[in-house]
Amino acid sequence: MNASSAHLKLELAMRGLRLEQGLEAAELAAAGTEPGGDNLVELLLPGDLVASCQVDKGGDGGSRHRLTVENDRFLLRTGDDSTPVPVSVVGRPEFYAKTTSAGTKMNRLGLLHGDFLAIDPASACSFAGKSKPCVLCPARRNRGATRRKPWPLEEVLEVIRAAFDEGAVEFIYFRTGHYHDDDGGFALLEPYVKAVKQHFDTLVAIQVSPPSDAGWVDRAYAAGVDAVNYPLFTFDEKSQARACADRCTQVTREQTQAALERAARVFPRGTVWSDLMVGLEEPTSTIEGIDLLVSLGVLPVLSLHRPSDLASLAAHPLTDPDDVVPVYAHLYKAAREARLNLQWLRDLGQAVTPLEARFFAGDDAKLDVAVSSFYRSRLGGRAARSLSRFRRRLRVKQVSDSFDSSQL
Amino acid sequence: MSQENTSKQYVVDTRPLALVLLSRLNRPLRLLLGLGLFALVYSMETPEGLSEEGRKAMAVFALCLTWWVLNVLPLMITSLMAIALIPLTGIMPAEQAYSLFGNSAVFFIMGAFILAACLMKSGLSTRLGLLFLQRFGHSPRSLLCAVFLMNAFMAFWMSEHAVAAMNFPIIMEIVMVLKLRQRRSSYAKALFLALAWGSTIGGVATLLGGGRAPLALGILEQYEGTNPFTFLDWTLRALPVVVIMLGVGWLVITRFFPIDQDSVADAETALAEKVAKLGAISRDEKAIGAVMLGTVATWVLAGHDLGLANVAIGAIVLLFVFKLVKWRDVEEYVNWGIILMYGGAICLGAALNDSGAATWMAQRTLGLMADSPTSAVAALSASSWLLTEAISNSAVVALMMPMGLGMADTIGLVPATIAPLIAIPAGLAFAFPIGTPANAIAYSSGFLRLRDIILPGAIMGATGWVVFNLTVRFYWTWAGYIHL
Repeated sequence: MNASSAHLKLELAMRGLRLEQGLEAAELAAAGTEPGGDNLVELLLPGDLVASCQVDKGGDGGSRHRLTVENDRFLLRTGDDSTPVPVSVVGRPEFYAKTTSAGTKMNRLGLLHGDFLAIDPASACSFAGKSKPCVLCPARRNRGATRRKPWPLEEVLEVIRAAFDEGAVEFIYFRTGHYHDDDGGFALLEPYVKAVKQHFDTLVAIQVSPPSDAGWVDRAYAAGVDAVNYPLFTFDEKSQARACADRCTQVTREQTQAALERAARVFPRGTVWSDLMVGLEEPTSTIEGIDLLVSLGVLPVLSLHRPSDLASLAAHPLTDPDDVVPVYAHLYKAAREARLNLQWLRDLGQAVTPLEARFFAGDDAKLDVAVSSFYRSRLGGRAARSLSRFRRRLRVKQVSDSFDSSQL
Repeated sequence: MSQENTSKQYVVDTRPLALVLLSRLNRPLRLLLGLGLFALVYSMETPEGLSEEGRKAMAVFALCLTWWVLNVLPLMITSLMAIALIPLTGIMPAEQAYSLFGNSAVFFIMGAFILAACLMKSGLSTRLGLLFLQRFGHSPRSLLCAVFLMNAFMAFWMSEHAVAAMNFPIIMEIVMVLKLRQRRSSYAKALFLALAWGSTIGGVATLLGGGRAPLALGILEQYEGTNPFTFLDWTLRALPVVVIMLGVGWLVITRFFPIDQDSVADAETALAEKVAKLGAISRDEKAIGAVMLGTVATWVLAGHDLGLANVAIGAIVLLFVFKLVKWRDVEEYVNWGIILMYGGAICLGAALNDSGAATWMAQRTLGLMADSPTSAVAALSASSWLLTEAISNSAVVALMMPMGLGMADTIGLVPATIAPLIAIPAGLAFAFPIGTPANAIAYSSGFLRLRDIILPGAIMGATGWVVFNLTVRFYWTWAGYIHL
């Protein structure tokens, strides 16, 4: 059952799903306001796997996966004759319908994915549409648009408070598009991270561009970030240049590697990860990318590239999920051999984590799964937060403290 | 956003967590160690030959020494605690303990700090430094030599760490203009070591180079009831060590860090621009320079009769009479904490001496190593030098002076000679950034690795000890400063 859940996740990521007549995508979509998000449904598959699926409106000729409702239960059917798989839909939380004190609809600021709230304060990307469309960004941020003013901190906090009050989220995930600055975009996020840490007892993850000054890695940890994602996207630089020429010129692999290397030393083991996109390069190249990342102490996370428009299909044809199963199996084996903690990363609907990849390697990973389940519990969550605070208090020093202690 | 404002503010300790935890527990342990030693000595039976006050003074000394050496609290806070503990434990009445803070050495060093503050605030010291470098720094070798000698000479008249801090931006600008690579450029390393070691060596030449000498004289004055040293007396004892160590320092720097720079033309241009930017020398600068020269002349010629502290305070009054400085500037530039530290250390030294604890301890520690004046000189100077490589040199003087004075009579040394025997080697810290602020400032540049300092610094320190002992053995005996 679980093995097929993992395959199913890949299938759904690649081919999307159709909705039974009477089901409305917009009502189900948890990511309602993300560009294209009204067409995106998140399912909880057996084995606690979150899958993010594009809704295929192509009718009977479209995806072979179909979401139906029977006796108030959601069922996923593949083809006509298969046994239906019971699934849950990560529904629209109530706070989506609320507005902030400034009158902004809350789901414009924060979106629920699994049990985390994703917030992109500026919704912009320095290389989106500069030369030719970038295919790396799943959210297709403001393509070609200039950056808008970031959301006010107070409004972001209101949204987070509403989400916590509703019991909808466990932790916060801040992300930005690409920023071609020393900080990789963290300077923008820093006040939000600090405020969240000040007002809420929660864990915070971020996704930013790899900073060119590794000091920003330390600063992110000091500010309260608990997990960090500096995407590599592809190991093969030529493939990346084809996917997003601007990024390739602005962020070198060496820069990404240096930032990840520093982050792996600063952050707890298993809380630094990097996205690799399967389907943009040869599988052997992705495997090299996996090996590079685990050698740095970084968890690779694999997402399947799925072009959103027909024009892109010519350059990046759809990947057959079955073709890349060995890559996913290698992901689990490599991460396990490197003795990385696999339990922290979870609920990434658009990607497969190393722990989820255990299904492809035919391993139960019972201990990791048990620990991961523990951290999902109320007690485990509290333990994780306390450990995180304790570790940060031990490790972070202000430079001025050092000068004070030297009594210069 | 600039790098200075952002990425350099935090440091994440990436050592294994157990080690980090242990180092964080370190402070409570150090705190408890001091308290434990205090309780142990305080509650033990009074040994034969030691008074009850002596035992209590030793308990306070053990506590302060542990906290000074292990850096548990800021030095000055430990010193203040000592002043309070002395009457609280019944070693001496409160009036007497607090009155010891009013020692003339404390006011002398305060006066020296204020005068140095005026020099820095007016920009006169920076101007002189820049002009010196511009005048002599035409080739890589001459520029390096100019940096070394300039820092040494300035530390004759100002606290060595103020000199290093003041000239650090100039050296940093030179290495930036020359595009020298961090941790790679041999010339950059040589420049920063010249900054640190020049200041350190120059700092032992006079009573103005740091707080060590005035502190030693303060403790001596409490012990003897008088201070037999004039400004010139001290300098005459220290100067040969300074001159020889400048030569040794130059050799060590240039051997360990050969000059790998062909030209300093860009640095010359930058220095010229900086000098031009300063404009013509102002009336205030001239006046402050004149007051400073007059003060030094009075210290040298009439310091003994007028009193070093009185001359310093007189000079400060003059500066304020002519509105050459504002009190706000003085507040900003003077390290008031160190003045508190000296007051407390002098008080503790007096308590140890008056109660007989100093003599009792010295006989059972240094006295065992030194049975003749020559071996006593070697033991005292070696202890001072080795301790100063690891702890604050003021703390070394505070620790060593009472013990040195306690053993002086037994081994046949005049108590007055103990002050330079301890204070001069206590200034010769070269091997570690923690040894002296000048080293720490140079290390903070990022151009030096720890190993760049340790080996050459250890050679410098050991050579310094040998040079000092040879100076005492031959020059001091020849001049009649000591009888061995």
